[in-house]
Amino acid sequence: MVSLQAYLIVSLILLITGLVIMISRKNIVAILLGIELILNSAALNFVAYSKYTTNNLDGHIFSLFIIVIAAAEAAVGLAIVIRFFQIKETIHIDEVSELREEIAR
Amino acid sequence: MTTNLLANLSFYIPEMIVIVTMMSLLFMETAYANNERRRTFVYVTGVIGMLLCLFSLFKNLGVEAQGIFANAVVVDSFSTMMKITMVIGTLGTFYISHKSIDIYDELKSEYLIMAVGVLIGGMLLASSNNMLTLYLGVETLSILSYVMTSLKRRDNLSSEAAIKYALYGGVTAGIMLFGMSHLYGMFGSIQFGPIIEGIKGLESFNVAAVISLLLFFVGIGYKIACFPFHMWSPDVYQGSPVPVTAFFSIVPKIAGIAVVARVTYSFFGTETVNTHIWNSLIALIAALTMTVGNLSALNQKSVKRMLAFSSIGHVGLILMGVLTFGNNGMSAILFYTLIYTFMTLVAFFVTTMVVNRTGSDDAVYFRGLMKTHPILGMSFLIALFSLAGLPPFGGFVAKFNIISSAVGNGLYTLSIVAAINSVISLVYYLKLARSMVFDTADSEETIESYSLASRVYVIGMVIPIIFLGLFWNNIYHLYSSAKLYLN
Repeated sequence: MVSLQAYLIVSLILLITGLVIMISRKNIVAILLGIELILNSAALNFVAYSKYTTNNLDGHIFSLFIIVIAAAEAAVGLAIVIRFFQIKETIHIDEVSELREEIAR
Repeated sequence: MTTNLLANLSFYIPEMIVIVTMMSLLFMETAYANNERRRTFVYVTGVIGMLLCLFSLFKNLGVEAQGIFANAVVVDSFSTMMKITMVIGTLGTFYISHKSIDIYDELKSEYLIMAVGVLIGGMLLASSNNMLTLYLGVETLSILSYVMTSLKRRDNLSSEAAIKYALYGGVTAGIMLFGMSHLYGMFGSIQFGPIIEGIKGLESFNVAAVISLLLFFVGIGYKIACFPFHMWSPDVYQGSPVPVTAFFSIVPKIAGIAVVARVTYSFFGTETVNTHIWNSLIALIAALTMTVGNLSALNQKSVKRMLAFSSIGHVGLILMGVLTFGNNGMSAILFYTLIYTFMTLVAFFVTTMVVNRTGSDDAVYFRGLMKTHPILGMSFLIALFSLAGLPPFGGFVAKFNIISSAVGNGLYTLSIVAAINSVISLVYYLKLARSMVFDTADSEETIESYSLASRVYVIGMVIPIIFLGLFWNNIYHLYSSAKLYLN
């Protein structure tokens, strides 16, 4: 029998992996994948808690909603990346740097 | 149970009207896709829908505070008043979008659809009483906002701003969900009621609960752009088309403030072990948000960016009101958001006009606006004075109420910080005002799109600023009678 702790550790690892991907990868699509990992870590937590401690279906419902909304968010995110690619012909995160402080004289 | 849920629908009419409006706008967009005249129809539909929604919201004001749909959503006068402000803000940005050349003609109806969609999310967020509805509200708000940001299709700044917004938004939503999942594990429910009971029942300082609540706050803090999570805001404001920027500084902010106030007051309104940690945290965030926002606004070239930082400063002030929510704070917040909406609408309408003429929102293009367009210049001057908090305008009364409620609750340090920040904010508002009044304009040509209707609009938006600054008693009484539903 897998314990609750095991699930929580896996989800924490997923969260940290997602954050590390967010920080270290230069490809915008890879960063979107990192966001998916973070969302999935939360969904895993909900289902695990639902099974082991709380004994109600709230967690399952919540994780279903997370999956649906993550899909919507990925669709919009990819559409924006495509628009960016059409203009700049690259999806490198370092190119996302035109908006910055401009100090007045 | 089923009949109960159906009966609850009668309290949910304003939201349903907004949803129906969005659907009919979508159908009109597809039906009249290649028709020039369709834009008028679309605007008329949008305005009628918003006015109907406003009407039914006013009818909802008298409803007793209660939870509906199995306590997932609440109806109380606090959230209804917040929603009224949001709908007024949306209506105001409709006209700005109609006038702006920043939104291409073929996309104007899409702006309306998105704006109404964001409004649905904001209304859900303002009355959420459950972590699931809160998350749904935040995401409805966010996902449509990403699309709105990239509405200016062929512009690289717009799509860049959208990428920044989407990436920040995605990661903060994920972190918020992580915090929510641990709250659910600890207290056994996603309803606010049991969580509040659980927090009250904690015997000692609980690290896990505090960390989960902090992670939970990340998502909301990102939406209102308070201090550690404000970095996206100036970039997104600068990159978006002007009407979208105006919309972002009104609707998502007010919805976020409503939810911060609800969470702070219903979770930590009564004295518990963990109360003072949360409250001192909010106080620290409020002070830092004000200071960082106002100091960064000092030397901005882009007026949109300056207004972004100034709105961060205003959020800091409103967070002060959140701290004193139970004791005069609620009416102060409600009043502040109403005034803030009108001031923001005027400021962004004038910015739209200047951008229409020059294609840029650089502060140098505001020079001599007073001489070339007296009404526009005068309105902008009043809006700037009111934003800076000078009497006799509404902004002064709003700021005064917030600070006096903070002093009344013994938050002296925070009040001093707020007063110092008011002085700092004077610098950049008056700098813009000075160059508008005293400098000579680069060109004498008038703004083409500045019509009679524009004059009526801008004067109509300025009147509440002056009027609420002089005769604020009645509306303040109405706001003091607002009730928050407590689980």
